[in-house]
Amino acid sequence: MTKYLQKTEFHVFIILVAFSLVCGSMNAGFWSALNIFSVLKSSSTVGIMALGMLMVIVAGGIDISIPAVAVFAVYSTAKYLVSINYSGGILLPFAMATVIGGLLGCVNAFFISKYRLAPLIVTLGMASACTGFLRTFIGSSVIANLPQSMFDFSRATILSVTQADGSVARLSVAVVVLAVVTALVWFLMNYTTPGRGLYALGNDPVAAERISFNNKRIQFMAYGLSGALAGITGVVHVSLIRQANIRDLEGVEMEVIAAVVLGGTAITGGRGTVVGTLLGVLLLTVIKSSLILMDIPSSWQKVVIGGVPILATVTTSLRKKSF
Amino acid sequence: MKSRMTVILLAVMAFYALAAPGVAGEKKYKIATLPKLDGIAWSHRMREGVDQYAKETGHDLWLLGPSKSDAAEQVQIVESLIAQGVDAICYVPFSVEASEPALKKAREADIVIIGHEATTLENVDVIIEPFDNHAYGANVMKHLAANMGGKGKYICTVGSLTSKSHNEWIDGAVAYQEANFPEMSQAAPRLETYDDAATDYAKLKEALVAFPDLKGICGAPDPTSVGAGLAIEERGLEGKVFFSGTGLPSTAGQYIKSGAIQTIHFWDPKIAAIAMNKLAIMILDGKRDDIKAGLNLGIDGFTDLKQDPNKPNLFYGQGWVDVDKSNVDEYPF
Repeated sequence: MTKYLQKTEFHVFIILVAFSLVCGSMNAGFWSALNIFSVLKSSSTVGIMALGMLMVIVAGGIDISIPAVAVFAVYSTAKYLVSINYSGGILLPFAMATVIGGLLGCVNAFFISKYRLAPLIVTLGMASACTGFLRTFIGSSVIANLPQSMFDFSRATILSVTQADGSVARLSVAVVVLAVVTALVWFLMNYTTPGRGLYALGNDPVAAERISFNNKRIQFMAYGLSGALAGITGVVHVSLIRQANIRDLEGVEMEVIAAVVLGGTAITGGRGTVVGTLLGVLLLTVIKSSLILMDIPSSWQKVVIGGVPILATVTTSLRKKSF
Repeated sequence: MKSRMTVILLAVMAFYALAAPGVAGEKKYKIATLPKLDGIAWSHRMREGVDQYAKETGHDLWLLGPSKSDAAEQVQIVESLIAQGVDAICYVPFSVEASEPALKKAREADIVIIGHEATTLENVDVIIEPFDNHAYGANVMKHLAANMGGKGKYICTVGSLTSKSHNEWIDGAVAYQEANFPEMSQAAPRLETYDDAATDYAKLKEALVAFPDLKGICGAPDPTSVGAGLAIEERGLEGKVFFSGTGLPSTAGQYIKSGAIQTIHFWDPKIAAIAMNKLAIMILDGKRDDIKAGLNLGIDGFTDLKQDPNKPNLFYGQGWVDVDKSNVDEYPF
């Protein structure tokens, strides 16, 4: 039991449950299948990005280029597919955006590993370069006539529940994408040598090299996967909202980093888990999507969005001191 | 020798071909229209207006704009237009403050400046706004109330609680509802959605859970039309929850057609461009005194200009366009 009490994940879980109970007592709609499904759907985009960010942060880096990479990957994919009147399935858009995102991530990794530049600077530059290139050479107007398969994706559901009032709540297929990504990242980080290398590199790069990890290769893996997952997020986001807008996802990196850190990941690297990250994402999403339910006016919403994570982090650090 | 003759002949022909409209007209003005950003649907539509009016009048009218949303780049274009010696600039400033020095310089060079979407501009001859913000909001509410049957709860969105235009639109909408539809009320204070369709969708989805008796959505920012359409369609609430608000056919059209939302409202940049150029030519022709309250520019929405009581060179039209299922295909932007 004490083993669980010591884990950050457990504390985040308790805060999540407590917040949900408070929210549920204020508005019964909170516990409806409709609202739960909706929270899960909203978590999927931030969740996929957060898993990429988790790998990067565990390896001792940071990647703030993900929103720009995501938008770049999906916008250029959408633009190309629309121009050839693409009418096939959803796999090609996903594959294209994943490859574009992955390549951009590798460019990040190249500068960070080869020239030992600060990840913050490199990824900040990448974000700016991606956005600029997109606006100048690819396009800036909103694409609303997306390939049919992307519209179908936004309507696809895996579960539907008839609620008390007769309306039907449906669970979006986006949750499946998050589940698959979660399983893969979890397996990679826990049961493969390169995955363990992420932790080794984040803890101590010199030690990692001494025990024969190839640090450069691990960095390519972390940033490449982070970029690839950003590309996947882009397709999920654009499909769900049914339009590709280059201004979308702006600023989401802060939410992603907050979720990862909230889930117990050390911002300095070396420590962090998939479960914790998902709980962090869930907690942030629940907070963000319950403020209207709790009747909190718009002007106060930002205070709550900023305040709860601070409180959560404070409780975690207090607990650490007491042990 | 023969080929040289042909060249000369062609040159002479080309000269007459080019000079012909100038010979026909009296004086040809050079007027540039400068939007906030080029390369987007909005400015393409504006260019259509400029080109059409150039064809009608024979004047030398064109549109050019910065390639990115950047005040400095736009001001630079103003500077180069001064150097080119244009007669007038129809200007939609990205930043009013950043533009003033360049506009002052332009006016010192006797260039006529017509402003648009910039009620606070100082160095300007005439500002023409598509509409008075409160009147626009009232018009949106008129449509929403009609669909709601004048009863029930509604919710309003703004891009940001500090956005002047959005909040004035909603002020106008709420005031119109209070004056005319006592059985309607706001379910909650206005929502802030950051001009982002995903945020609009998330917040409206939540509002639909929080207020099961919600019957209407009144949107100020353009992405709300998309967010509302998505949220209503997903819940299958077509015909139970209604939407009226700002929106563009290119993005919200699919939801109008599917019946998820009812009306979208905007102003047509093509018409606005014609209005601006028309006013510029009036001033260049020495008819500045004719620009006063009640002026009829002879184009839709600008047939009865209203003058601002506090700023005599600021005029409003009634230039909004109401789009529903019947005319959604007429506006390709």
